[in-house]
Amino acid sequence: MLFEIFIFPGILYILVWTVVLFWFFRKFMAALHKRVGPSFNGPAGSYQTLFDLSKLLTKESITPQGVNPYLFSLMPLLAASIAIVPTALIPWNSGSTVLSSNYALLVLVVLIGIEPFLLFLTGFGSNNKYSFLGGIRVLTQMISMETSFFLAALSPAILFGTLNLNSIVESSSWLSFVVLIPGFFLYFIALLGLLEQPPFNIPDAEQEIVYGFYTEYSGTNYFLLKIAEFSEFMAVFAGAATLFLGGYRGLFFDNFLCLFLKMLAIAVVMMVIRASTPRITMKQMLQFSWSYLVPLTLLNLAWIMAAKILFFGAAQ
Amino acid sequence: MDDLKNIFSLFDTEYITEYKTSWLKVKLSFSSNLLDVAQMLQKNGLRTISTISPTDFIDENKIEMNYFFEDLVTKRNCWLKCDIPRELKHCKIESLSNLFKGALWHEREAYSMFGVKFLNHPDLRPIILSQDYYNKFPFRKDFDWQEHEKNSVENMNLIVESFQEEEHLSENKLDPNSSEMILNWGPTHPASGPIRLKVHCDGEDILGIDPDIGFVWRALEHLVTQKDFVGAIVAVERLCFMDNINSMVCYAQAVEEIAEIEITEFAKWMRVLLGEVGRISSHMMGMGGFYNAMGLHTVAMWNMDMRELFLDFLESYSGARIATASVEAGGVRYGLAPEMLEELQKALDKFDATKEDIKNIFINNPTMKMRAAKLGILTQDEVQEYALCGVVARASGVKTDIRIDEPYAAYDQIELEYVTQKGGSAKDRLFQLFEEIEQSVSIIKQAKKHIEQKIEEGEFNPTKDYMVKMPKKLPKGEAIARVEWARGEVLMHLVTQEKAKSPYRLKMKAPSFNHTMMVEHLLKGETLSDIPLVFGSLYICQGDLDR
Repeated sequence: MLFEIFIFPGILYILVWTVVLFWFFRKFMAALHKRVGPSFNGPAGSYQTLFDLSKLLTKESITPQGVNPYLFSLMPLLAASIAIVPTALIPWNSGSTVLSSNYALLVLVVLIGIEPFLLFLTGFGSNNKYSFLGGIRVLTQMISMETSFFLAALSPAILFGTLNLNSIVESSSWLSFVVLIPGFFLYFIALLGLLEQPPFNIPDAEQEIVYGFYTEYSGTNYFLLKIAEFSEFMAVFAGAATLFLGGYRGLFFDNFLCLFLKMLAIAVVMMVIRASTPRITMKQMLQFSWSYLVPLTLLNLAWIMAAKILFFGAAQ
Repeated sequence: MDDLKNIFSLFDTEYITEYKTSWLKVKLSFSSNLLDVAQMLQKNGLRTISTISPTDFIDENKIEMNYFFEDLVTKRNCWLKCDIPRELKHCKIESLSNLFKGALWHEREAYSMFGVKFLNHPDLRPIILSQDYYNKFPFRKDFDWQEHEKNSVENMNLIVESFQEEEHLSENKLDPNSSEMILNWGPTHPASGPIRLKVHCDGEDILGIDPDIGFVWRALEHLVTQKDFVGAIVAVERLCFMDNINSMVCYAQAVEEIAEIEITEFAKWMRVLLGEVGRISSHMMGMGGFYNAMGLHTVAMWNMDMRELFLDFLESYSGARIATASVEAGGVRYGLAPEMLEELQKALDKFDATKEDIKNIFINNPTMKMRAAKLGILTQDEVQEYALCGVVARASGVKTDIRIDEPYAAYDQIELEYVTQKGGSAKDRLFQLFEEIEQSVSIIKQAKKHIEQKIEEGEFNPTKDYMVKMPKKLPKGEAIARVEWARGEVLMHLVTQEKAKSPYRLKMKAPSFNHTMMVEHLLKGETLSDIPLVFGSLYICQGDLDR
């Protein structure tokens, strides 16, 4: 149990994931930008993120005047710890889930859903106009994006008739993969909105409201918020790979590596979109979400039910 | 031109002369006639005031006002002068900003710098200056800069105090039960640059914007008067370092006109070549800035990658990449070696290789079009009314380009056509930038070919022809010069005294000043998300905004 909490898939794993993903994002983005990226520290600049994170940990954490210091410092801690919990529910390897539950999918979805409210409170508690606007934007975006996110995440549950992530992975097949492709696309689009990635990076739109709810945070608190962000990346990526792409199951062998590569592939697609698509506005996001994405996810559910009857013989 | 002359026959004038190809230079005997003259000029089609330039003649105890009227359609221009008394009490003149909206900020500037009071001006607050210069009128010849610098601590405190007071006041004016607030967009904002937009907003909706400018005011127009005619180019090129070359070309032309010197053919072609490289390097940053405003940095990076090679050429020519100081009165500063043109060829090849990618991914980008196609629309009327120029004017379909309207350097020998768009939206301004880069590349190719050919034929001697000897002292005189700068029309009004070693007065009209005026007009009623995009699409540089 201690191993699971502190090493894998617990705290150390999250830290390593954050450092590696951060570095990978930087390097990959640099290549798309025709730049070099970090290159001085360590092989291919790989120590750079480590140094950056340790720098953040040792820097002074500034609490602005006029805020409630407890709320201000509690929120990052809460955000980080809640963002880490979903890792316990993901089946990283066959039969190695920390918390194997028949309601794992539901818990995953709820934990991912709590996160934005905490971020809203960080913005609300910062006593800063930009942070406040950022907080409101987080809420608006989450309410509209999570609807389709949850509806899309439900499609494998309906197809396989279970909320247990282990069973979902085990019962996945080539046929189910094909049936779930539309669901995966919708999940992926909603994921971009949920993780505030372009073209939906509205809540921390640097050119408009500086850094949104992050604006007043520095030092350790900022570090914790970043950890929360990257843990959420992990939870959402792993969720996508588990629900739609067959989790740890691979072509030749079933292993954690397969899951990791799938998560990385999702990250790569996300980065390419980031490098080629400008940000849209709040109004456009709302319109897109409620007039296209949500109806489509509902249609997708209908398709899943039809497919279940047609191909999986659920009518009997 | 004749109809313009007819107008002036109705008034008392000291002289009416034709100046250059398209200008009529007139001095009114009485400043009280100004409003009537302006009204008649406007009816005659001269709907644009390029700038207003007071000159302080302290010995003659007068301030001479210079108005530059332009007609962007028929290309007739009028340079109108009149004298007003110098004493602050009587230093008054009728405001033209009710007729010509473009004069709004120019009159405010003339008021801040020279203390000229414009009667009936709707909003005559000081502009550009910080609070410690208020009511001191720094560009008057009797202002003591050193004395002012001595109290720098007090000045600083004054600025801080008045800022706090203003913040306090503006928050107090708001309704406490509403969700309205004043949001500062700048000067230390990630996307703003050194400018502050005081955004009065209700949640995400913008109710009004008041731009606060002057954070990089270097008093360049005063600085040049402290330097000799050659030394002044380093102040002039800092109008904006992105395209530093064309601003030096403009200044050099004004000096050459007063000195009555004709530069060599080779120097003219070099000015074209260097100027277009400057334009490209500026436009590439402009395209990057446009996309940066929407959180996409790839274009800026790709353009930087190309721009580096163009800067390599400038470096090989002048030794500097950004502030090149490579054009001075009398020609260009250095000779040309064949290796330099090879560097330029590399840059051109790189551009041709990358062009299609940029076009496919970023010019035809559907998300960009979704955001920018209906935003920040400027009509042709607004362009003329507010004296907009360059990229912004042409994106609205106004055919204005000084390179064609009033050819300078060797532009009369180059194949060149107006590049325009129709819509006038933010998207059109991006398209305009890209198409102008393509146009500039074609000009560079023509100029390069011509120079290479003439060198081969022995008509150009690139190691000797680049400069003609300039006199050390200039006669008394004045001149205006215009160039098509990267951001639009730059107009310089140069005044010299007898046996002058340095300029007596240099007015630099720079395009961003007028374009920033449009920010409120375009953004009222839009949302916060549109500020960076509209601001970025107007292609504003704080360097030439503040000078």
